[in-house]
Amino acid sequence: MTDTKNHSPAGVTGSPEGRIFQPASFAELAEAVELAFDYRGDVTVSLKSGESLSGYLFNRQVKGSDSSLEVFPSDSSQVRHIRYDQIAAIAFTGEDTATGKSWETWIAKKDLERRAEVERVAADAQARGIL
Amino acid sequence: MAVPLSQMATVTKYVLTQKLNRVKRYPLVLMLEPLFRCNLACAGCGKIQYPDHVLDKRLTVEQCLAAAVECGAPIVSIPGGEPMIHPEMSTIVRGLVAQERYIYLCTNAILMERKLDEYQPSKFLTFSVHMDGLKDEHDLAVCRDGVYEVAVRAIKAALKRGHRVTTNTTLFDDANPERVRKFFDAMMDLGVEGMMISPGYSYQKAPDQQHFLKRERTRELFSRILGSPKKSWQFNQSPLFLDFLMGRREYECTPWGNPTYNVFGWQKPCYLLQEGYAKTFRELMDSTEWDHYGTGRNEKCADCMVHCGYEPSAVEDTFGTLSGFGRTVKLTMLPTSR
Repeated sequence: MTDTKNHSPAGVTGSPEGRIFQPASFAELAEAVELAFDYRGDVTVSLKSGESLSGYLFNRQVKGSDSSLEVFPSDSSQVRHIRYDQIAAIAFTGEDTATGKSWETWIAKKDLERRAEVERVAADAQARGIL
Repeated sequence: MAVPLSQMATVTKYVLTQKLNRVKRYPLVLMLEPLFRCNLACAGCGKIQYPDHVLDKRLTVEQCLAAAVECGAPIVSIPGGEPMIHPEMSTIVRGLVAQERYIYLCTNAILMERKLDEYQPSKFLTFSVHMDGLKDEHDLAVCRDGVYEVAVRAIKAALKRGHRVTTNTTLFDDANPERVRKFFDAMMDLGVEGMMISPGYSYQKAPDQQHFLKRERTRELFSRILGSPKKSWQFNQSPLFLDFLMGRREYECTPWGNPTYNVFGWQKPCYLLQEGYAKTFRELMDSTEWDHYGTGRNEKCADCMVHCGYEPSAVEDTFGTLSGFGRTVKLTMLPTSR
């Protein structure tokens, strides 16, 4: 099912990939978390304690001072819950997996580019034993 | 009749029970996504763009069976990702069959023929094969040559073993109605029980007038496809939903009708939008602000006419109004009277 909400055309600079947010207020932090929640890649959350956690931010509950988010760490299967007031910075460190994946971008590609991509996807699926 | 009587009776009994108990919001189909990993990478698919460690996550058998019980819907649709990649999919299906739920295992069919031995034919199990058109259209849609032929082989093999098989097709505004009609003929010639169709979902910021025009284009497309239906065509879905797609009935979205459970939890509010996750089905139902969703209420819903929101509305119409009930009976008995 096509879902353009999560896609942006290749080359469009709308993706926050590579950016780092160091919010100065709760409102800025909430905004950065929303951006991370919509992001289809890993983020790195730096905590005020000095700890740093890299993973996929998949949920958040905004309830004033009780606000928290949930991350699937990239190196563990245990969900981590983090309170907003523990967060010092959020960096968009992982690849934005949705960039350039729209139908329009696919159609606009040259035949050779498309073939190369098809072969890469097929080779990956084959290597995983799912083809 | 595309939907077997036993399945119709189960759904009817379920809906009437909800009505007798004055349940305002109830689920009809659980959308169970046991994984996001797929062996295709269809351009435009919004379900598979995640980092590798998320794509490698799987719901366990226990989580899947517990979700079905918690939700209570009589029908379970299993999309993904590609569910047949899940190493325990046949165990999940067996468990759901034991719960006497009607299962639609949605697959691109690449692994289907190879894995058929793992599945016992049952009135509760239907392979719902993703087919977006005839060979040229389908292979273009899934971004790989040869997939149409693989799927056709798998459908034939499953039918030969006595399985229930349907197709599911997503159509966009650029579809060619004549080619789609030929595609319907081809699928019915294969011997599938029925077909399921839906417009695709897309979300673009646009003025209201443009959204209105987009919905008009969708209605026009489906009118051209479904007008003068052939006797051989069978659709495994509510006839009133098809009326809705043709612009003959107006519905509001029923976002709680097809609740979605996946590796993140219970998805708010629906199968297509991801506004957050609830830990339990009850929390989903109680904490989602349902009034914020649907055409005219939310920009993201403006163009949506997708089955997961509007088919439950059609079913509600069947059991909630005399005209809906009468029209459903008429179109079920005489599908060519449309």
